[in-house]
Amino acid sequence: MSTLEIKDLYASVETKEGRKQILRGVNLTVNSGETHAIMGPNGSGKSTLAYTLAGHPKYEVDSGQVLLDGEDILTMTPDERAKAGLFLAMQYPVEVPGVSMTNFLRTAKTEIDGKAPAIRTWTKELTEAMKRLKMDPKFATRSVNEGFSGGEKKRAEVLQLELLKPKFAILDETDSGLDVDALRIVSEGVNRAKAADDFGILMVTHYTRILKYIKPDIVHVFADGHFVKTGGPELADELEERGYDEYLPEGSDSESALA
Amino acid sequence: MADNVEINIPVADPDDPYAVPAAMPSSADTSPRSFDVADFATPTRKQDDWRFTPIDRIPEFFEPFAPSGETRISVGYIDGSPLDDDDVDVREVAIGEAPCGAVGKPSDRAAAVEWNSARSAWVVELKREPAHPVLVQVHGEGLDPDALHLVIVARDQVHGDVVVEHDGDAQLAEGVEIVTGRDAHIGTTFIQEWSADSKHVANHRIRLGAESSLRHSVVTLGGAFVRIRMDQEFGGEHGDLNMLGIYFVDPGEHIEHRTMVVHNHPECRSRVVYKGALSGKGAHSTWVGNALIEPTAPGTDSYELNRNLVLTPGAIADSEPNLEIENGNIIGAGHASSVGRFDDEELFYLRSRGIPERQARKLVVRGFFGELVEEIGIDELAAHLMDAIDRRLARGEDEDTQHALEEK
Repeated sequence: MSTLEIKDLYASVETKEGRKQILRGVNLTVNSGETHAIMGPNGSGKSTLAYTLAGHPKYEVDSGQVLLDGEDILTMTPDERAKAGLFLAMQYPVEVPGVSMTNFLRTAKTEIDGKAPAIRTWTKELTEAMKRLKMDPKFATRSVNEGFSGGEKKRAEVLQLELLKPKFAILDETDSGLDVDALRIVSEGVNRAKAADDFGILMVTHYTRILKYIKPDIVHVFADGHFVKTGGPELADELEERGYDEYLPEGSDSESALA
Repeated sequence: MADNVEINIPVADPDDPYAVPAAMPSSADTSPRSFDVADFATPTRKQDDWRFTPIDRIPEFFEPFAPSGETRISVGYIDGSPLDDDDVDVREVAIGEAPCGAVGKPSDRAAAVEWNSARSAWVVELKREPAHPVLVQVHGEGLDPDALHLVIVARDQVHGDVVVEHDGDAQLAEGVEIVTGRDAHIGTTFIQEWSADSKHVANHRIRLGAESSLRHSVVTLGGAFVRIRMDQEFGGEHGDLNMLGIYFVDPGEHIEHRTMVVHNHPECRSRVVYKGALSGKGAHSTWVGNALIEPTAPGTDSYELNRNLVLTPGAIADSEPNLEIENGNIIGAGHASSVGRFDDEELFYLRSRGIPERQARKLVVRGFFGELVEEIGIDELAAHLMDAIDRRLARGEDEDTQHALEEK
């Protein structure tokens, strides 16, 4: 049983117009086995929260703590955070030319586990996981994310989630750019991985449709850099019906939570 | 010189409009070609060919000299076994004695100086397919000016590989001629792993026979100053030229590669792909890729690419592709060139999967060069090259750490 606690987190980003504070007092506790949906209007800071937790160099923490089983991960480098058990499935997975998926996955697995995986079981595990995600075996020999379609990139993210077995998974807009079939395959992958490893999930999304496949225990509304409302799955239904209007600043265009 | 030069502007044949050569005189091949040093002015930075070159570091390469004889040559198979005389003939001939001097003429003063300074030429002739790649080891044993002339000949229909490895201390003026017969398919790989004080100025003159293919690879990993100029032409139609280059430049080094690809026969194909990594203050690389498609070369397919990865601040990469197309009936003539730093997003992605920064950088750099090393296609070399690249990367990082500590 693990716990991820975000305590009064403030973070900023450098922009052309100067330093801009995006996260303003984020508080959240997630336990193993729980699925939290983090929903909010565009530009509310949801993705910034995801990247700040993973340690992207673009975002600077101003104050606050993020404790993973009591240890502050904010003092750690991104790779140390991953080793501590954090995984970020990115909205736009990055292409790394010349580095094969196989080599990348084995290197990551070796680092996370602290030892190289046994070759035979590893190859089998990889092949089967790819098969379940309906990925063509030739993806293994291709460069990381290079030339992958949007849907293929998301499958590759879920493949890593299944293989690296984190304590907490942050899914940043994993549903974006997916058609219904791909959404189902990707969601099944997440559910399968969670059933196997019982990790906690922070699912960042603008739209409610992924929640039909990955059932949240708790739904939060994120606006203006912090959580403004927390409820059960029924809160998602409410957002589906009413959109984000009541959480938007005066004078903004209305935003639906329906894809 | 006459004051008035008559220019003939060709008139189009309405039945074959593509056959008309360009109505402008070619600019790329107006520079002199000669065995005579006096035909070339002493280089200055104002001459286009020497624009990127710190010529003040290499005055000794511009006047004929008595060679020191400090360069050792040995030839064998790459696995260490002795050559089979039926496959490969190695001999020394006088400069200018056939087959030496058959491929073009020197294209700049340094090349003419080499021709007039070298005492003899080494000929490596592939008579039929050798059992293993042929390894020519060029070992420098001193920093006094020396000259070396090497002629690589492949007879008709021969398949084979020649690897030329340079190492040690040297100040070497080198001339290389590569000539193939008909339907020959060969690879030539030139590796420069000189000591940090060495200087090397080379001119490769290449003629590829009809229906032949050549994979010409250059790997420059060390030397204070290395400048290699390659002049190539086709000897007939359907030639296939693949020029590959890898370079790694350390602080204070100047590493320059210039390729001149001339399409002078129909339906030939050329690819030029050079990639380099630079680290530290004063590291300077130059790549100039010239491609000339003459009126006599319809159906040409050519492409050239140069990519530079700047590992640490303070390095300078010059990259200049030049295309001159004098025939409208071609398949393609493209070029691409870039200079970039480590991509922060790539590094973050790898690190977010638990891979430490140092290893993530190594993966990215290995990825950058890996495909090229594979394409060079000599198994005996691949591991050695990857190790050498890893070592260079590690050394660069240690120096970075050192600088960072010193600054604190």
